[in-house]
Amino acid sequence: MGNRWNLPDLGIGIGLRTVHFGSILGKNPPIDWFEVLSENFMDTGGRPMYILDQITERYPVALHGVSLGIGNTDPLNFEHLRQLKALAARTRAHWVSDHLCWTGILGRNTHDLLPMPYTEAALRHTVARVKAVSDFLERPLVLENPSSYVEFADSTMPEWEFLARLAEEADCALLLDVNNVYVSSFNHDFDPRVYIDAIPPDRVVQYHLAGHTNKGTHIIDTHSDHAIDAVWELYRRAWRRTGATATLYEWDENIPDLEVVHAEALKARAYREEPAAVGA
Amino acid sequence: MVLSVPLDRLQRWMQAVVVHPGSEEEAVAAPEAQFEIPAARVGEVVLPSKTLTPLERVGVYHGMYLLRMRDVLVGDYEALEHFLGADAFTALVRGYVEAYPSRSHSLNRLGDHLPEYVKNAPGVRSRGFCVDLARLELSLEHVFDAPETRALTEAEIGSVPAGAWETARLRTVAAFELLAFKYPVNAYLQSVRDDDHDHPRTRREDTWVAVYRRDYKVWRLDLTRPAHDLLADLAAGVPLGPAVNAALARGGRPSLEEETLFQWFRQWASGGLFQAVETA
Repeated sequence: MGNRWNLPDLGIGIGLRTVHFGSILGKNPPIDWFEVLSENFMDTGGRPMYILDQITERYPVALHGVSLGIGNTDPLNFEHLRQLKALAARTRAHWVSDHLCWTGILGRNTHDLLPMPYTEAALRHTVARVKAVSDFLERPLVLENPSSYVEFADSTMPEWEFLARLAEEADCALLLDVNNVYVSSFNHDFDPRVYIDAIPPDRVVQYHLAGHTNKGTHIIDTHSDHAIDAVWELYRRAWRRTGATATLYEWDENIPDLEVVHAEALKARAYREEPAAVGA
Repeated sequence: MVLSVPLDRLQRWMQAVVVHPGSEEEAVAAPEAQFEIPAARVGEVVLPSKTLTPLERVGVYHGMYLLRMRDVLVGDYEALEHFLGADAFTALVRGYVEAYPSRSHSLNRLGDHLPEYVKNAPGVRSRGFCVDLARLELSLEHVFDAPETRALTEAEIGSVPAGAWETARLRTVAAFELLAFKYPVNAYLQSVRDDDHDHPRTRREDTWVAVYRRDYKVWRLDLTRPAHDLLADLAAGVPLGPAVNAALARGGRPSLEEETLFQWFRQWASGGLFQAVETA
């Protein structure tokens, strides 16, 4: 089983973070690949780009964005897309991903991943924009399922159905964040296994894993800790459906040393070595 | 009961609530939010969870917005935050992001208007000092992100014919800014970075600083007024001969000597402030 675009299984990577620049360039650690936050490198000509150029000489990378706003109702920002396309070319990114969400309206950016209502109208709107972005980037856009804290009353389908239909109708790829599935399942009281099982496996080109913060009444997707066992079990379940797929660990708050983040990411090995389910 | 609203209206409402500077109760009751969805009908738009009310669920996004903006601005304005204290800085951020909301895909540009805002922001103590400190810290961000340009080498300087210097123009590197202050803000910034609790006094004192980048590091160089004025002339494209003559004519106490000028040039050239000598 592989994805329908034959995008490679890059192995087990981690998110590229500023605090690790020195360790990466100084020690050349045996990390399979890095995920680069697109917006951090789109309007700077200084040290970040200098570092990134060196890292892309040594490691495979993929771009991951937070400001595309695929669900926004403002017009698409083609200047943003032009910069994104140029960065993808410069870094030889294997793919370009962002989130199923909206980020702002009336020209404003809240810099948050805000939730969509899962309606037929929202689906049509998002499908059209994904197609336009993929056409512009000349590659399939990769969309990640978000963590969310709100459900809208007029949603007519669950998130997993919306995501699966979006992927089919817009012909886009998916970044399946199993921690986000877990977080949303807690917040919205659904069975995360149903979500995992509903995702078309041949459209998944990447996994995300991360830690979160349980507030008791809800879970926040903080990327601030080790992943809990339940998240690893979801990864095992998803992996058995998709087989070899690039996997990445995100750590964004209270970021420990590179070795600690890498060691957490490498826990994925135990799950990757299990054979994919036949006929999944 | 379900209130179904078009996607753009839903987004205008949710953004108005998320970015509102008050509590979530005040946010949903604010005119801009109620124009889209009456406060009494929020429960028809957002579902409750088993543990949170619709308002509390939207409040998760509302609470994170200000924290995220604050985190970014503390990163850009660490000395200003140190000077004002956490509570006063948070109040400043609350007003600032309302006056200058992000319209960029990147958070790198979020703080671009802070010095301007501090000029008239309510409740800022030692306002003149804070404006100057914010200007210095913004300059560091600009220089950090400026495009990379190669600095002039000693060999290139040595190859300029002696007779050509009189009319030669020195072009500064792109990552360079020259600043004049009414307060000793560079010394204050250094004391914050040194974790020195004996900060310099914030009483009025004219100071001058060049901010530039060399080998991808940002440097701050204290200048005297004559040095600042000469460097300002050179950066503005005044040929070397007239610029030096103007500097000598401006004099100063003690009177400016040619040897002093040579020392400045050596320091500026070896510091990588210039990218080219343009001869006629």
